[in-house]
Parts: sequence; structure tokens; C-alpha cells
Amino acid sequence: MSTDTLHIDTASRIFGDHCDKALLDAAEAGEFPQALCQVLADNGFLQLAMHDSGFALADAFAVIRIAGRHALPVPLAEIMLANRWLNQTDALATVGLAAGEKITAAPWATQAKLVVGVSELGADAIVVRVGDVEQGANLAGESRDQVAATASEPLACGSDEPYELLALARTVQTAGALERVLELSLDYAGEREQFGRPISKFQAIQHNLAVLAAEVAAAVRAGDAAAAALGTPRQRVEIAAAKARVGEAAGVVAEIAHQVHGAMGFTHEHRLHHFTRRAWAWRDEFGNDVFWRRELGAHIASVGADAVWDFIATRG
Amino acid sequence: MLQFDQVELPAAAEALRAQVREFLREQAAQLPRPNSDFGSGHDPEFSARVGAKGWIGMTWPKEYGGGERSFFERYVVTEELLAAGAPVGAHWIADRQSGALILRYGTEAQKQQYVPPITRGESFFSIGMSEPNSGSDLASVRTTAQRTADGWLVNGTKLWSTDAHRNHHMIALVRTEPLGDNRHAGLSQLVIDLRNDGAEIRPIKNISGHEDFNEVVFADVLIPEDRVVGEPGNGWQQVTSELAYERSGPERFLSAYRVFVELVRLVGDTPAPHEADAIGRIASHLMTLRRMSISVAGMLEEGKSPEVEAALVKELGNNFEKLVPEIARMAAPLAAESTDFRRAFTDTLLGSPAFTIRGGTREILRGVIARGLGLR
Repeated sequence: MSTDTLHIDTASRIFGDHCDKALLDAAEAGEFPQALCQVLADNGFLQLAMHDSGFALADAFAVIRIAGRHALPVPLAEIMLANRWLNQTDALATVGLAAGEKITAAPWATQAKLVVGVSELGADAIVVRVGDVEQGANLAGESRDQVAATASEPLACGSDEPYELLALARTVQTAGALERVLELSLDYAGEREQFGRPISKFQAIQHNLAVLAAEVAAAVRAGDAAAAALGTPRQRVEIAAAKARVGEAAGVVAEIAHQVHGAMGFTHEHRLHHFTRRAWAWRDEFGNDVFWRRELGAHIASVGADAVWDFIATRG
Repeated sequence: MLQFDQVELPAAAEALRAQVREFLREQAAQLPRPNSDFGSGHDPEFSARVGAKGWIGMTWPKEYGGGERSFFERYVVTEELLAAGAPVGAHWIADRQSGALILRYGTEAQKQQYVPPITRGESFFSIGMSEPNSGSDLASVRTTAQRTADGWLVNGTKLWSTDAHRNHHMIALVRTEPLGDNRHAGLSQLVIDLRNDGAEIRPIKNISGHEDFNEVVFADVLIPEDRVVGEPGNGWQQVTSELAYERSGPERFLSAYRVFVELVRLVGDTPAPHEADAIGRIASHLMTLRRMSISVAGMLEEGKSPEVEAALVKELGNNFEKLVPEIARMAAPLAAESTDFRRAFTDTLLGSPAFTIRGGTREILRGVIARGLGLR
């Protein structure tokens, strides 16, 4: 990973300045955040994963985690990776799942000229020119459209495994969202008073927040480890472990956070749900916990009991 | 916010890993235990061999027999020994906390007397913290040491002292001044010679049927003046720092490791989907916990005191240790004839209640984490 963290600081500032509740609500209501997308383009974020960007791929994933922290309503990971594989930034391109003649679950296909379709089966990807679009959304209200192609051709992604990289993107996005959920929960517990004192002073709440914080720490560490394994022979198994671990954390963290927030956090007016709903949605995109656990488990079984420790202890 | 940095083990630590594995291959006859729990294999001869390799007191000054090596190197040796199921229990406490405590707070004479034999794997320590009425509320200990012309006169009872009936010494937390307004004041730590001072040691059978922990009764036990570690009255601060060493290591998530390995063996190389799921789930936790523990080793190496981070790793790690047999039993039929898996499962499950009690209960750890989050 680059020791230069300027891109992280810049991302935190820009994402934080723009991602207010009004923008998130508007995006979830179907309004594409054009102005923000232009800011991201102007600051080079959409090109960050390209081969000639001057950044390591892990740097792009560090920014994607920041995007998760802010529930960035632009599909930054998909745009970054589409630009990487298409080696272009002229037209807005995103990524969905290849499904026969169509592509499904593509964010903001209405805005895109090109959509990349990836498959869990391996490196084969396609790129399509966008025809009719049937708009849809995931449970977080994020755009997930179905695309009919006017033209389609195979897309060579070099040594990349597209589905893996998208799974890693969701992993670090989720870790970022969970970090924000922890912050919101700590703030709320400190502000909300019942029985004459902040609820953070009650041991039951403290213990729940401790569990929440531990799961968040595990999620962040798992995501970082997987990003650090990019380009190594361990990439696939590390992403598998991280996606599974973060998926498990997401459920625990969202559940406790909503319990701590009480009815307030159940309102649309509160911003908590922008992060919890995304964590709930992202854990099931590009392979849920079980998909990746089976992948990892089958690999370990093939390694065998006598070599399993060597597998576990191979990398710090 | 709590942060666990991405840390790669340095090359020196990885080079050491190969040496530990070579050693373990030579010791294979000592390793057929049914579990990987740090506390359940007490073998003085094995500990002496580990000491001869220079793998006890690895981070301590050479002057006292230590290795002046990094916390990363210590981490690697520790995890390799545990994963192999090596019987490390005899020297474990001395290596992990007692020796470090004496080096930090002890007199020059104490360092010279106690530390070199620890590093040789010849001197073994037990913990003397809990009492019949003092567990998580450690500051409430009632064992007293009264200063007399001939030394300290100790009265009271220590409880749950693992291997006190096998080890040489105990570091006991005792009250040396009457309880005042500040309950953390007036506590001190004394080195007890378990074999010669006249303490009465009674093993207590646990739910596995093993006798590992003990009740240690002091009835007018007189010990020499020079056995107090650090300043009399400073015991609370010392014991708190001792607990930080106790909480972050790989022994806090590897106690059930053997169940995982035997599950992999039982399932074979073509697992059914639910079997692969179980193995993958365990591995996803294990790989993450290991990275977090290495992050804490990095904090220790930088001279930090990661008490909160250590508590967090122990909280997650202990829960994981309890989760492993629960996941495994759903994936593998236990009714089958006696297998290595069944032995590992049974032994680990019966030991599992201790995982979230020893070294600080789950409830205490969550309190430490909450304090670190600024909630109390």
C-alpha cells in the first residue's frame, strides 16, 4: 500500500463535504448525483484503479472503504473497476452481473453508455452497449438496474478476476459503513438520556457497544488484510475469508446499532439506516457469506489437515 | 477509535518459524494431546527443551537469560507451539507475565534470582489473584501480609491457581495495608515459594475430571522480607499491567484449534457443501483474529500499552473458541466410533467454559472495551 495517504485524506474530505442526508435521500429516490459524480471525476477518483493511474490497486480499495463510510451515492467501485477493465473514462460505465442476454444489478445503467457484466464463474466478462433499462434497487435503495444490450462483446480483464475484485469492494465498503455505524451508535448513546443519565452509562448498553466495536474492528482488519493480498497468490482465499467475516459482522453490528438507537434509528429521518441498510445489502452482493465460506472451506479441505496450519499462518 | 494496523511479520520472525517447526518435528512423540489449550499440558522436560532453544523470555534482556528478540518473534514461537498442541503449560505463566513483571518492578537481586531459571524452562509460576470471595472484583482480595521483624506473615486463601500443585512459585496479590477509602491502595505482590513456604495446596477437580487448578491456603505462612515485588502498596497498578500481557496472545483464540484440524481431516479433500461451509466459517474467523493479534504484537513492539486492544482480541477470540465446537458438531456426526475428531471435540467442549472466564471474564473485558470507547 502506498505510504502516501493524501488520496485517503482527500477522499474523506470530499466525500464528507458532499454526502449529506439530502443527497442520500435524493439518490435513493432515483435522482443521479450528477454534481458529485463530476467532483469525483475532477479529482481523479474515477481513474484511480486504472493501470496507469500511478496508484496501487490497494489504494483504490482504501478509497472505496472511505466511500462506504460515507454511503457515497455514486457507485465508485463499479465505475473505477469498469474504467480499469475498459481502459477508458470517456463514458460513464458501471458493472453488473452477466445473465444470458442481459445484465442485472447494474447501478445507474440509465446514466451509462457501457456496462460490464461479470460472472461468479471466473474471469470471463462482457461489455455491453446499454439498450433498454429496467430500473431497480437493492434493499438500501441503491440503483440496481437490468440492462438489455444493443451490442455485446467479451472483455479481457488481464490478470484480474472481476468477481473477486467486486467482492472485495463490497467487503471494504461494508467495513467502512460499519465504522460509521459504530460512530453513530457511540454518539447517540452519549446524547440520549433515560432514567436521568445518558444510556451509555448503563452496563447493558456498554456491553452491547463493546460487542459492536469488536465486530467492527474485525471487519476492518479482515478487509485490510484482503486488500493487502491483492496481486498475491493468496488473493482469492483472503478475499473469501474477508467477505465471509465482514458479512457475519454486518448482521451483528446492524442489529445492535438499531437496538441502541431505539425507535429513533427506525425512522427514515435518522441517518443510521443509510449505513445499516447498505451493510445488509452489500453482504449479499457478489457472493454472500456462505458462498465464500464454501469456497474457502473447499480450498482448505484440498490443502489437507496436515498442511492447514501452514495455510493459516502463511501471511501476517 | 480502536485501530488494528495492517502488520506483516518481519523476515526474522518467519525464519524462526522454520526452526520451531523443525524442533516440533523432533518432539513429535510429546505432541499427541487431544487439544491445543495452553493450560492443559504440563511437561517440565518439554519446557526445559523449549528453554534450551532460547524460546522462553524471548523479549527479555540477555543479562537475565532473555533473548532480546522482538514481540513478533515471540508471537511466531507462541503460535507454532500452540498450533502443534505442544505441552507448554509448565512455563507458560512465567514466560507470559511473571518474568515480565519481575523484570519491570523487581529488585536487581530478584531479577537475578528468578528470571534466568525461568528462561531455562526450569522455574514455573502460578497466578495468585482470585480468592473464594474475589474473582472479577480483584481489588477486594482479603489475603493479608503483615510485616513482622522476621518477614511477611501471610494469611488467607488463593483460588483457581492453575498448576500451583506442580509449579515452583506463585505471585500473590495481597493486602499489606488495611482497607481504606481507596480500595486500590495498600495491595502488594509477593513471590511465594509453593514448595517450601508452607502454603497448603489442594487441587480442585474440574468438569473434565482433571485436577489443574487449586486452592492455596496460607495460615500464618512467614516469608522473607525480600519477596515483595515492586513497591509495597503498588500492587494494583502492577497487577493491571500484568493483565495486559495476559490478554492478547494467540492462546486466546487457538484453544479450540485442534477441533478445526481434526474436522478438516475427518471431512477429507472432497467436502460436502455444508462441511466446506463449516471449515470456511471457522477459517474466516481464525485468519482475522490472527491478524488482529499480530497487530497487537506490533503495538507491544512499539512500546505501547494496548490494554483495550488486547481485551478486544481476547473477547473476540474466546467467543470464537467457544463457537468452533458448535460449528464443528453441525458439520460432523459425533455418533461415529471414537476418532481423533471426537476426542478433540469432547476435550475442547468440556474445557470451553473456562475460555471466557480465565484471564478476565467476558463481562470484565467488555467493560474494558467500553472504557476504551469512552463510555465510562
